[in-house]
Amino acid sequence: MTMADVIVIGGGPAGLSAATTAAAHGARVILVDEQAIPGGQLSKQIHKFFGSREHLAGTRGFAIGRRLLEDALAAGVDVRLGRAAYAAYPGTGGEFEVAVYGGDAATGGSRAARLRGRRLIVATGASENPLAFPGWTLPGVMGAGAVQTLVNVHRVRPGRRALMVGSGNVGLIVTYQLLQAGVDVAALVEAMPRIGGYLVHAGKVRRAGVPILLGQTVLEASGDGRVERAVVARLDERGQAVLGSERSFDVDTICLAVGLSPWLELLLILGVRTAYIPALGGHVPLHDRDLQTSVPGLYVAGDVAGVEEASVALEEGRLAGMAAAESLGRGDRVALARAKLEVAARLDGLRGGPFGAARREAKARQVNELSGAPPLSPAAAAGPESVPASRADGRAGIPGRPRPVAVIECYQQIPCNPCETACPRGAITIGSPITNLPKLDVDACTGCGLCLTACPGQAIFLVDRSGETATVTFPYEYLPAPEVGRRVTAVDAEGRPVGEAAVTSARMTRKTNRTWAVTVTVPHAYAGVVRGMLRPRR
Amino acid sequence: MDDEVIVCRCEEVTAGEVRAAIRAGTRTIAAIKKRTRAGMGLCGGRTCARLMARLLAEETGLPAAAVAPPRARPPVRPVPAAALAEED
Ligand code: FES
Repeated sequence: MTMADVIVIGGGPAGLSAATTAAAHGARVILVDEQAIPGGQLSKQIHKFFGSREHLAGTRGFAIGRRLLEDALAAGVDVRLGRAAYAAYPGTGGEFEVAVYGGDAATGGSRAARLRGRRLIVATGASENPLAFPGWTLPGVMGAGAVQTLVNVHRVRPGRRALMVGSGNVGLIVTYQLLQAGVDVAALVEAMPRIGGYLVHAGKVRRAGVPILLGQTVLEASGDGRVERAVVARLDERGQAVLGSERSFDVDTICLAVGLSPWLELLLILGVRTAYIPALGGHVPLHDRDLQTSVPGLYVAGDVAGVEEASVALEEGRLAGMAAAESLGRGDRVALARAKLEVAARLDGLRGGPFGAARREAKARQVNELSGAPPLSPAAAAGPESVPASRADGRAGIPGRPRPVAVIECYQQIPCNPCETACPRGAITIGSPITNLPKLDVDACTGCGLCLTACPGQAIFLVDRSGETATVTFPYEYLPAPEVGRRVTAVDAEGRPVGEAAVTSARMTRKTNRTWAVTVTVPHAYAGVVRGMLRPRR
Repeated sequence: MDDEVIVCRCEEVTAGEVRAAIRAGTRTIAAIKKRTRAGMGLCGGRTCARLMARLLAEETGLPAAAVAPPRARPPVRPVPAAALAEED
């Protein structure tokens, strides 16, 4: 039987970074993942990620997954993909045994095998929450994860016209990706009275003209052998459908993006203590500051420790990897202590701002309950403060100014700073914490537009009011490619047609990583209004 | 959730059947599973366990926090029995 210092289960951002870090500190590490492609959920993500340079922000998800795998291999991790961990047991000497099933032709096909490790890091992620309604078992109803696998990995459209359920970041991002794939999205429904995810993600969907229906839900799906229509209704304050408010949509796909729950099964077999913390996705394992669970030697990292974001998963992986190596007496103690503090500080930053507040409090409760400290008050129920969807005002850009200037429409404190990093002039400041809103030094801005394509939220525009007519430059990620000289229908931040405009420039370079910067000419009065263009019908 | 709505798609168990089991006195997901087969399908209850937990909370008035996740037993992923027998 193979014996390792550390076994890591899960090859997503948390598992890969945990394995790399533990190996970098001298531990012998084996990592297993049931998928053949590394990166966990990252492998299905084609959008640019938020965060900072430490989190590879601005990089598209699948590329992050590959990078993390390369790092792990370079650090000497024994990476075994295509192997599912189906059981975990405590060994006799305080170590762990993990049963895995899988393999490939090269290793004699799929077989069951056992691995032994002195420490175990579980990074199994989360699974999607179901939503049950009459007709939800019809073909055509699918989870957002399945839609992403189809569209982004296999390049297969799930249907022609979809209804999205759920306005968290997953629902918003997958809606955008469906549009990019050429699928119509009839509407996005959200049971809560507010959008759950980042407004910048919602902005991409809005500019494409997809209505976001708040306080509404899908009542039923019907059709002959597969989904042909969906009935949507308004909800009252008690969450009951309002009679008579039903509306029918002709769709062949209903995509469910109603949240994730940590996938705890292996941890439960090993007997970890859990707590129910809704802000983190439901039942979560208790853990200490080192991410060690109630079972000595057993660590967690990433969504399984509480559903958060990929950037958090990366940092938690690093922390768990360091802690596991440290507990084995590996690595330099002083350097490890310092590095752990740095990670903890970055995690704190990522949990800052209105979006992070509830999670930060929830994490404190998770840690304190294990150490016996009195539980904190229930996590702040308040959601992120509401911000107007669009503040595009007529003042954007500066009349008479001889060059274009960036207009940053980023109004929510989310942990993200690629715009700051992208600006060669230092004209954009976010600083610390990373959830600060970007501040633009208008006089230093040369209007180069590098921030525009760097912003994963596509919330930066260039406005030039120096000429006879104004120009607006916006990010664009749809096919067919925009053409210079084409007349297009310019739209506002809500996707409402504003008028005709001519495309005067469409730039895409290796640096912009498949995002075009499209410039259109508009009358001055519209410089603060136009934020995109209609996608041409295929 | 209407009674006719399927809760466990692997085993085709409806909300009505799960409710009947709860009314007959089952108070844990494990017990509902034994009585109705909900959660015994290929996915191992990954899809339906949370729906069962919700029905359990609704029917009994228990807070969601009080409904423990179902007990986990190996194998937690589908593995052919023959492979288990040959585990090395
Ligand atoms: S849905 Fe119930 S076991 Fe799969």
